[in-house]
Amino acid sequence: MVRATWDEALSLAAARLQGIKKEFGPRSLGVLTSAKGTNEENYLLMKLARAALGTNNVDHVARLCHAPTVAALGSALGSGAMTGSISSLANSDAILIVGSNTTEQHPLAASYILHARSRGAKLIVADPRRTRLAELADIWLSPRPGTDVVWINALLNVIVERDLLDRQFIEKRTTGFEETAEAARAYTPGQAEQISGIAALDLARAAGFFGAADRAAIVYAMGVTQHAQGTDIVQALANLALATGNMGREGTGIYPLRGHQNVQGACDMGALPTVYCGYQSLSIPAVRAKFEDAWNASLPEEPGLTALEMLWAAETGRLKSLIIVGENPALSYPDSSRVLKALKGLEFLLACDIFPTETTALADIVLPAACFAEKEGTFTSTERRVQRIRKAVEPPGEAKAEWEWISELMRRLGHQADYPSPASIMAEIASLTPSYGGIGYDRLDAEGLQWPCPSIDHPGTSILHTDRFSQGRASLRPVFFIHPPEIADADYPFILNTGRSLYHFHTGTMTRRTSLLDREVPRPFVEINSEDARLMGIREGMRVRVETRRGSIDAEARLMDALPRGNLFLPIHFSEAPANALTAQAIDPLSKIAELKISAARLHKVIS
Amino acid sequence: MSEYAPMQAEIADIDIESPNTYLITLKLLEESTDFRYLPGQFVMISVFGLGECPISIASSPTRRSLQLCIRRAGKVTNAIMDCLVGDVVGIRGPYGNGFPLHRMMRDVVIAGGGSGFATLRSLINYISDRREMFGKVAIAYGARTSQDLYFMQEYKSWQRAGMEVAVTVDIGDELWKGNVGLVTGLIDRFDLNPGSAAICGPPVMINAVARKLMERGFHLSDIYVSMERHMKCGVGKCEHCAIGPYHTCQDGPVFSYDQVREVL
Amino acid sequence: MKAFLERDRLIPFLDALSRQIEVIAPLATEAGAVYSTWQGQSLDLGSNPLFPPTEFLLPHKETLFRYIQESGRYTFKEDSIPPRMLFAIRPCDLHAIALLDRIFGSEPSDQAYFRRRRATSLVVLNCTNRGDECFCACLGAGPEAQDPCDLQLTDIGDGYLCQAETPAGILILQAASDLLQPALLEHDQKKARLVQLVRDAMPRDRSCHQIRQAIEIADWEALGQECLGCGGCSFVCPVCHCFNILDLGVPDGERLRCRDSCILSGFSRLTGGANPRRTAGQRLKHWYLDKFEDLPKIIGLPGCVGCGRCHLVCPAPIDRSDLRVLGNGKLENREAKI
Repeated sequence: MVRATWDEALSLAAARLQGIKKEFGPRSLGVLTSAKGTNEENYLLMKLARAALGTNNVDHVARLCHAPTVAALGSALGSGAMTGSISSLANSDAILIVGSNTTEQHPLAASYILHARSRGAKLIVADPRRTRLAELADIWLSPRPGTDVVWINALLNVIVERDLLDRQFIEKRTTGFEETAEAARAYTPGQAEQISGIAALDLARAAGFFGAADRAAIVYAMGVTQHAQGTDIVQALANLALATGNMGREGTGIYPLRGHQNVQGACDMGALPTVYCGYQSLSIPAVRAKFEDAWNASLPEEPGLTALEMLWAAETGRLKSLIIVGENPALSYPDSSRVLKALKGLEFLLACDIFPTETTALADIVLPAACFAEKEGTFTSTERRVQRIRKAVEPPGEAKAEWEWISELMRRLGHQADYPSPASIMAEIASLTPSYGGIGYDRLDAEGLQWPCPSIDHPGTSILHTDRFSQGRASLRPVFFIHPPEIADADYPFILNTGRSLYHFHTGTMTRRTSLLDREVPRPFVEINSEDARLMGIREGMRVRVETRRGSIDAEARLMDALPRGNLFLPIHFSEAPANALTAQAIDPLSKIAELKISAARLHKVIS
Repeated sequence: MSEYAPMQAEIADIDIESPNTYLITLKLLEESTDFRYLPGQFVMISVFGLGECPISIASSPTRRSLQLCIRRAGKVTNAIMDCLVGDVVGIRGPYGNGFPLHRMMRDVVIAGGGSGFATLRSLINYISDRREMFGKVAIAYGARTSQDLYFMQEYKSWQRAGMEVAVTVDIGDELWKGNVGLVTGLIDRFDLNPGSAAICGPPVMINAVARKLMERGFHLSDIYVSMERHMKCGVGKCEHCAIGPYHTCQDGPVFSYDQVREVL
Repeated sequence: MKAFLERDRLIPFLDALSRQIEVIAPLATEAGAVYSTWQGQSLDLGSNPLFPPTEFLLPHKETLFRYIQESGRYTFKEDSIPPRMLFAIRPCDLHAIALLDRIFGSEPSDQAYFRRRRATSLVVLNCTNRGDECFCACLGAGPEAQDPCDLQLTDIGDGYLCQAETPAGILILQAASDLLQPALLEHDQKKARLVQLVRDAMPRDRSCHQIRQAIEIADWEALGQECLGCGGCSFVCPVCHCFNILDLGVPDGERLRCRDSCILSGFSRLTGGANPRRTAGQRLKHWYLDKFEDLPKIIGLPGCVGCGRCHLVCPAPIDRSDLRVLGNGKLENREAKI
């Protein structure tokens, strides 16, 4: 690496990008934006990709987290976002929490759930592991990994059997109920018990709590989405909420918990291969024309590649260049050895981050970014709340806010980009995005505004779908169980699950540099069921090797009763034991998310 | 200058006790410094840029050298283990209360388990040099394997000073001709009158030894334990080492068994 | 020495002070009242800021000393501490400072703390209304100043009764004499009435003894299950002072002192992995015992000033101000235990 000035770096970047575009065509270029960057930055980078580079190969890390949510809720409800406000959960009478270790991953959302509980609300927690929240629940459902469609359909089955339906709601506001209920008939509690391992009695009880509640809500996170059947599982949950009329009222609805501070915003800003900002489809000629007009550029027609598809295209040489901002795919994407190979094979890699990472180490040009406290901009939270972030300190050294260098790069690529401030970028966004139409810096005080906020006198929207769905009626759709891509076998007898720890954020770029957080969880560990460990002679703290068909890592053994037999759990935070070196790249055909929660694995002691 | 700024000391000598344990001899750079300590006290040792950690003083104040026994455990100890003679470290202290010698001047049982034995060496060498002030002295020490035994070259001199020395390991090997088993087994074979005791080792071992001694008539307030706790300041302010109303770094690390029985 | 400051003379008074010394005052912000350097901004004198003014005596991060290496030997340098005034702090926080003085003053006294302490003058604003969570009077920490400070102010309606307590306080009043008027008996009487009203509004069931009893019967493991482990309670508590020491920089750098919290699981964990307070319940109980059992034994006073911040900040429904709930972890058991 050689030190350069901003001028040199951006000139070189512009020249390389233009060169590759000329030689190999715009489809050989790709952009991965940052779910931790501001709305303004995501919008600009997306615009750079489409207007200046001519490619729709734009994506970001939502592909590995809530892409199934965008796909399923988008088609079922007309919008992929959380249907209520987080605080609304405190008013629920029953909450079904699926695949979310809420007290550790979304503690503030968990606090509302706990308040509901102390008011007497019933909590049903579905997770293979007995998480903290599961211990506080009225019912803990522990499904075999990969069987979620089965037991969720069984809940619907019981609700239909016992007529706990909201028939008025179904009639007036939905389509597809009949086929969906018919399909659910096959998923009896008895059947579900056989396949998922959850006792039929518990399923019946859970269905009873959910169906009988006046206000019931569904909360979910990665345990639902990071599966090869992720989109179907979200649809199954939507079916439950719609069949019981738990939509559009305080304390009801569906609450996908988004993880990064601006992953909602990055999606809203169109950092996705098939849509512009506001989820406006680029395949619709009238929409494309609107943006061509606004941006004064001709725009590519064909939808682009998703994040993983871009990496596979890089592997085969079809993709020649990537711009990666505020992400670390070398560590956080599945099947890391393939990812590394793909990144190394690129003609040109531009990376931007706040600290050196495994990805910046591979880049041709590394640009220093400003973090959230060092720039102006907005973030959109998981409850659709657009909030301002304000500059509290100067960025260190030569680091710059991304919106500054993205504008500059756009200009060097021959595209006009005069933005005196992030506020002016938001003004442009608001002019092109109906749901953000009324958002402006002068209106964003300490509380922010929840979209849809279509005009400057609109107060923002707390609860979606109160009277109608944007598409008219919501769609229930039958979902059918498909076996997970990998199951335990004689060679690999364990099922490996991956996830997070309370104290670390993602690949630890920030948290492993913070003394108190690092002290809480300093070393990689693998959770093993205590009985399994005892039978293998593995003691607490012993070094063990976890191996899958993709690779192996070493970590410290942590014996847990809360983990079911035959399961293993690895956190994703540690570069010296990268969990994604082990995960497969099997993907969900509808949302292109990878199966990160199920890998067949084996375990043995490491003799030192 | 802040009391958190350490004195500087040069590593004057390194003795290898076991593959992951060194006995280092330190020489304060400021020679005029009057560094007086008691057996059972500890220092906070610094590697600038990495941090500090508490280490018991392993030498006796009756002798000239200041010695610490360092075992590879965390960042700081690992860095010290990679130091060479002549390298400079920081030390703050001496901290802690030390053993209540005046209450131990009768028959004494000294029991050490694993790396805890390093803390007891200071007391043993003190008694050895002031032998006439104490009654019968019996030392019981257990380590995991024979490779892990500390201070083997000193056992004979302790015996010559009129102290009984019994050693055991958890796991034997072909070269080991001595005892295999628990430290409590060694104590069974001592001929003892109830007196005082000093124990340092893992909590399980401390409880087992204390129980054994009480069966033999020792009073629990005469059994002294050196407690291990996470420490940062060494002066009773940061609260990391708090045990109830006590600070291990000031009211301890030596406590009588009745004071700490609940928390072991 | 006493004096009366008319309401509209407060800002000129503060302005004159801020020309002599850096004044830290409770500023009105979008996020509520925050103690920060006053440079003419609007003040919020109606509520107690969530982050206590003790942060200026025990910063979240401070440099104990810098180390500079040359040929294998080190020299050390300390930064100088400029004088500051903490303006309009509440009696509870003043009491917290008195507690910290005792804690850090026990041998060997903590010089880093006292260097800041000696450079800080204290101006207290007595309380003429009670916050929802306040119970200072139960613990001898308010509603009027119970400990030494330089100057006390009490809002008695048309202005402030000012009472100088130290030579420094007297100097402040003398320097501002053109803004002040003589204090009259009726000012004292008004103050006494207003303070008594606040005292009367205090709960009667939160003395140190009663809290100790509640600690005894509480289901700590159940409470621990609801604890999110954020440490927020300890970071907003004006008496909490746990810290970590760490080095930053090789070969030259700083030895830092950073605030820490015994609520965090790694706080008491030994290098080998053993942890004397393994569960959240144990750690929560320790936090309470330290304040109501241990500190009284060490410094003779409980380590709580009744400010209620821990309750305000806690995102989990652990109701710290309600003693009845402290005695019952779960909602269902509420009836059974009382």
